[in-house]
Amino acid sequence: MKYLPYLLKHLRRNWFRTTLTVLAMALCIFLFCTLQSVLAQINALLDSTSAKRLVVRNSVSIVFDVPLAYGARIQSVPGVERVAISNWFGGSLPAKKEGKGDAGTDSSTTDWSNFFNNLAVEMEPFLAMYPEYQLPPDQYRALMADQRGCVIGRKLANKFGWKIGDTFFLESFIPVHRKPDGPFEFVVRAIFDVDPVKYSGTDQNMMLFHQKYLYEATGRTLQAGTYYVEIRDPDQAGQVSAAIDKLFENSDHQTRTETEKAFAAGFIAMAGNLALLLNGIGIAVAFTILLVVANTMSIAVRERRKEIGVLKTLGFTSGQVMGLVVAESLLIGLIGGALGIAGSRTIMFLLTHAPGLKDMLAGIGLSELPLRPMVAAIGFGVAIVLGFAAGFVPALSAYRARITDMLRTV
Amino acid sequence: MAMVDVRNVTKVYRKDAEELVVLNGLSLQVNEGDYAALMGPSGSGKSTLLNLIAGIDKPTSGDVVVAGTNVAQLGETQLAAFRSHNVGFIFQFYNLIPVLSATENVELPLLLTHLSKAQRRERALTALKVVGLADRASHYPRQLSGGQEQRVAIARAIVTDPKVLVADEPTGDLDAKSATEILDLLGTLNQEFKKTIVMVTHDPRAAERAKTQHHLEKGVLKD
Repeated sequence: MKYLPYLLKHLRRNWFRTTLTVLAMALCIFLFCTLQSVLAQINALLDSTSAKRLVVRNSVSIVFDVPLAYGARIQSVPGVERVAISNWFGGSLPAKKEGKGDAGTDSSTTDWSNFFNNLAVEMEPFLAMYPEYQLPPDQYRALMADQRGCVIGRKLANKFGWKIGDTFFLESFIPVHRKPDGPFEFVVRAIFDVDPVKYSGTDQNMMLFHQKYLYEATGRTLQAGTYYVEIRDPDQAGQVSAAIDKLFENSDHQTRTETEKAFAAGFIAMAGNLALLLNGIGIAVAFTILLVVANTMSIAVRERRKEIGVLKTLGFTSGQVMGLVVAESLLIGLIGGALGIAGSRTIMFLLTHAPGLKDMLAGIGLSELPLRPMVAAIGFGVAIVLGFAAGFVPALSAYRARITDMLRTV
Repeated sequence: MAMVDVRNVTKVYRKDAEELVVLNGLSLQVNEGDYAALMGPSGSGKSTLLNLIAGIDKPTSGDVVVAGTNVAQLGETQLAAFRSHNVGFIFQFYNLIPVLSATENVELPLLLTHLSKAQRRERALTALKVVGLADRASHYPRQLSGGQEQRVAIARAIVTDPKVLVADEPTGDLDAKSATEILDLLGTLNQEFKKTIVMVTHDPRAAERAKTQHHLEKGVLKD
């Protein structure tokens, strides 16, 4: 610690160079923490899926429906416990109050800044296959008794200040999910909680409502978006999936059945091999910053050759001089690391609160992007390693240099 | 008693197949409390001899005994410790650390001791007082004249109370007035504080201030 003032004074020797180097390190750690946090949250999302749940969708694309008649046939497949229809509603707040809708109204009149994930589901079998959603029994009964009733996650309730009995309106941007007389009105009949330890990745910023409400209000022509299927034995997932798809292989609407995890991963994969991409970016940036900081330290040591010679003359050992150089580089790493972590926390808060962007993230289940303590700790560790590595070679040069050679430097 | 005893020292520099003999079987004694000047033409080996006495270089052969320790036999770490306790070095171009104040420059050798921050500060200020720069304690080298910088350098050299002060052309970069002030200070350190001083100089006026003068030529003493 007694050398700390000495080190800080040397960092202040060239403010501009030190600031740029620290910012470079901060950028590296910021990118690392942000990218790894996104990956961690995606992995948590995938881990929140169940091996006992399958998703049946149209084999061509998820944007195409699956016939309602398929539900009963899927139920008859050996190994299937229960089946639930699901339609991704795509509704957003605030919407126009109930009344005559304007002709030609389109999604551009809807405010997307408060978007959250909302699904129309066959409530009884869907909730039965999702034990992670914990509802008090009385709220469950009230939900089942009211076709306009909905169940929302605790975080969504807290976000909007909704309580049991509150009403709100949603309007979807999907034409077949819109009714001519205006937006859909919903009543909060239940609020679900999730065990934070057992189901840490489960999204609590979402809403479920009765698929029957959507079906009847849109003229009884709506088909199923997907079917959620609970199977009795997760080891039978492959067999059951194949059996379901075989049922419809010769029909106009062929299906693709996959585990819930694979289904969720499919959305992520729309952005390419995200893990490879993000990790590749992280490694490339870290290596670049290593070179930048190493270059800065090399220049600093070269500029101070005579000073290093003087320190050795005064009695500082080669090891102590080497330690001072490495310590200075480490200090740059530590300051940059702290700034990078702070920046990452800030940007992830902004990502999940910026209009438009937060809706897109919420749409794929990333309504929250916390900077996990482990990611921050690893990021800090990366900063320390980079700082040490960057200073090592210049420090070694200072270690090996002869006093007389260094004092002779012009 | 000899504070510095150089016995039959040879220093050879090797570059590829070429050998350059800088000191050739040189012997020299400087007694405790002496003020010795080493003079000679450029390339005579006087700075090399000074470096050996200071312990920042080692002879190719021979012994260099300073304050009872044969520095020729010490390892790198031992030499560093030897220098910190026994030698105060005064450079021609002062070599102060530009980002440190005068006090902080003088404190530098004390960082190697177990003194507390307050004790280090007190000793540094005392050394600055000895050289007459107590009022410039917080000034940075860029705020000092050449003569003042050299005085700070001298304070740094004496702050650990070393046995020997070695000075390599201490007035080489100074004007006449500043040079006189520095020589006066060195004289005071020798006469009042009984410091043993070995000084390399080209300046005859500086050499006159010394008690003994030694002339080197082509690596040997011409006394």
